[in-house]
Amino acid sequence: MFIKKIVGEIKSLSVGYFIVAVIAASGLAVGAYRLYAGLGDTTNLSKAFPWGIWISFDLSTVAFSGGAFTLAALVYVFHLHELHPAVRPTVLAGLIGYSSVLVILFMDLGRWDRFYHFLIYPNLNSALFEVSWCIALYSTILIYELSPVFLKNSRFSGVLPIIEKWTIPLVIAGVTLSTLHQSSLGTLFVIMSSRLHPLWYSMLLPVFFLILSLAAGLAMVTAGAVISYWVFKRTLPENVMAELVWFIPWVLGVYLVLKLGELEITDELHLMFSSGMYSVLFLAELIIGVLIPIILFSFKKVRHNRVGVLVGAGFVLVGTVLNRFNVSWFAMRPVNGEVYSPHWMEVAILVGVVATAVLAYSLVAHYFPLFDETVVVTPAQTRIRNPQTILSPKATGD
Amino acid sequence: MSENNTTQKEFGFLIDASRCIDCRACLVACSVENEVPNDISRIWIKETGVTGQFPDLSRYSAPYHCMHCDDPSCVSACTVGALQKSDSGIVTYDADRCIGCRYCMYACPFQVPNFEWDVRFPLIVKCDMCVSRLAAGEGEPACAATCPTDAIMYGEKSSMLAQAHQRIELNPDKYVDHVYGETENGGTATFYVSPVPFEELGFPTGGIVSSAYTNRLVTHGTPAVAGAVAIGLSGIYLTIKHHEEAMAGLGEEMHGETAVSAFPGEPTHNETAEA
Repeated sequence: MFIKKIVGEIKSLSVGYFIVAVIAASGLAVGAYRLYAGLGDTTNLSKAFPWGIWISFDLSTVAFSGGAFTLAALVYVFHLHELHPAVRPTVLAGLIGYSSVLVILFMDLGRWDRFYHFLIYPNLNSALFEVSWCIALYSTILIYELSPVFLKNSRFSGVLPIIEKWTIPLVIAGVTLSTLHQSSLGTLFVIMSSRLHPLWYSMLLPVFFLILSLAAGLAMVTAGAVISYWVFKRTLPENVMAELVWFIPWVLGVYLVLKLGELEITDELHLMFSSGMYSVLFLAELIIGVLIPIILFSFKKVRHNRVGVLVGAGFVLVGTVLNRFNVSWFAMRPVNGEVYSPHWMEVAILVGVVATAVLAYSLVAHYFPLFDETVVVTPAQTRIRNPQTILSPKATGD
Repeated sequence: MSENNTTQKEFGFLIDASRCIDCRACLVACSVENEVPNDISRIWIKETGVTGQFPDLSRYSAPYHCMHCDDPSCVSACTVGALQKSDSGIVTYDADRCIGCRYCMYACPFQVPNFEWDVRFPLIVKCDMCVSRLAAGEGEPACAATCPTDAIMYGEKSSMLAQAHQRIELNPDKYVDHVYGETENGGTATFYVSPVPFEELGFPTGGIVSSAYTNRLVTHGTPAVAGAVAIGLSGIYLTIKHHEEAMAGLGEEMHGETAVSAFPGEPTHNETAEA
């Protein structure tokens, strides 16, 4: 019996899955209560702070999920085929990341019963309208990019050649959509000139958001590969990892120069040291997320060391999260002294959604050929010697 | 704005802080007229608090509601276009479209839009100049009709602005020399005159360019960016592809095998790539 088979499978899963599942279910139960009760009793959002930790989470998660488009661009557009083994795990992480964002956005909408209105009532001036559309379209493309993983061993494997044939145009469409929404998330705040502290407020916000998402994406791919080395016993070849983190100092270098240059031009550079708590947040963000990773990844030793890669990537990710939280929360100047800190239910719902995401990723990794081209970790083999196993299948016809 | 060449009359408010006695009749009138609870109202009072040394104490207040900007930030921000600027100058709200994303609340430099936090299916709460009341033939919005001291006046926008300047001119000692709302956020349809600086009343001091304009400068670039990125990526893809094929051809040639595309007169790289 089919059901019997499923029950058997569930029984065979390790206890870790059940712990995560319980956390996920609890968080989602709180989420259901929020939809029922409205936002007043379940959040600390207010007139002065109509957006809270949920939006900060969304911004961070979308930046992390930038790994999917960064990698797709490097592999398919820039022909760095040796990076191909990382594509599927990253695209899955991206898809799950975007799905989490969509769930949290749904929680955030006062009128969640009308979530589809963005599809039928367009306002072309609205950055949020653009973000919604791009995320919806891009998630569809991610499903497409990932579909071979699910189709490969199924009875529908016949469509695989057709899917492969259209990969390049869709990847280019996907990278374009990502460029748009990664930057548009920054555009969201261009209209908030009166609230956002000048150290962060800039007409270049979309550019800053895009560049930092490239670095965060690369960091996410490599950090994920190192963690996967311990959890799933599958990882990327060391040289692939080293090549990915090689790009990070360059990307962050561009970011640093633009960021400081913009402050210099608008005559706001002195605010870096004279704005009290804002200065601390700003410097912390730049030092942790930009300066330290640039220095670390300039060393070949670090790029070729698993722990080194994880530490450096960790700094980039923490810095990116701090940046997104600053822009959407910490650097929003208070109105009449009113500040915001999240309600426990807001946090519980986030934890639940993250747990669901972890569960989904683990289950797909458990049952589907996600890591086909990655390296199996054996005690003797930590370096890939045979390039044959890491070369991609050709993306296009010869 | 393109609005200017229409013949439609625009309406607005003139609010005089020196006349406001903080009786809050306007709050009650608004609440009754628009059927909104008093605690999430469309109008409220900004005030200086008690200032000065005894016995020379003073206290000023002014009613505060949507400014009905000429180029409203909320209209630019609204994801679903629920907020619109009407021909008569009203920033209207379509309750049937709103998805409750609250972007307008953050976009508004005057922190005007309110939200029904304690409702399961909440909506934005915002002054619409009592548009339904006006449509029913009443002369003016509830707050202006109720105000016992004429601190809130309603009328044709140009006339309101002229009167604001006239009051300052006639009583330069009484008023601060600034009509709040004339240039704030690119200009609005609500004009304030006050005996005390507006910062002391707790009014936000914003720029004279609407953030809606700044926002459009960026969002209108989207199609161009999309086109440029898509073309750029395709160009990079094809360039590298041709380069790789040329290199492969060169490699074969050096190994003494047939290298079709490397010789003059043979099909070009382009043609072989398309084949």
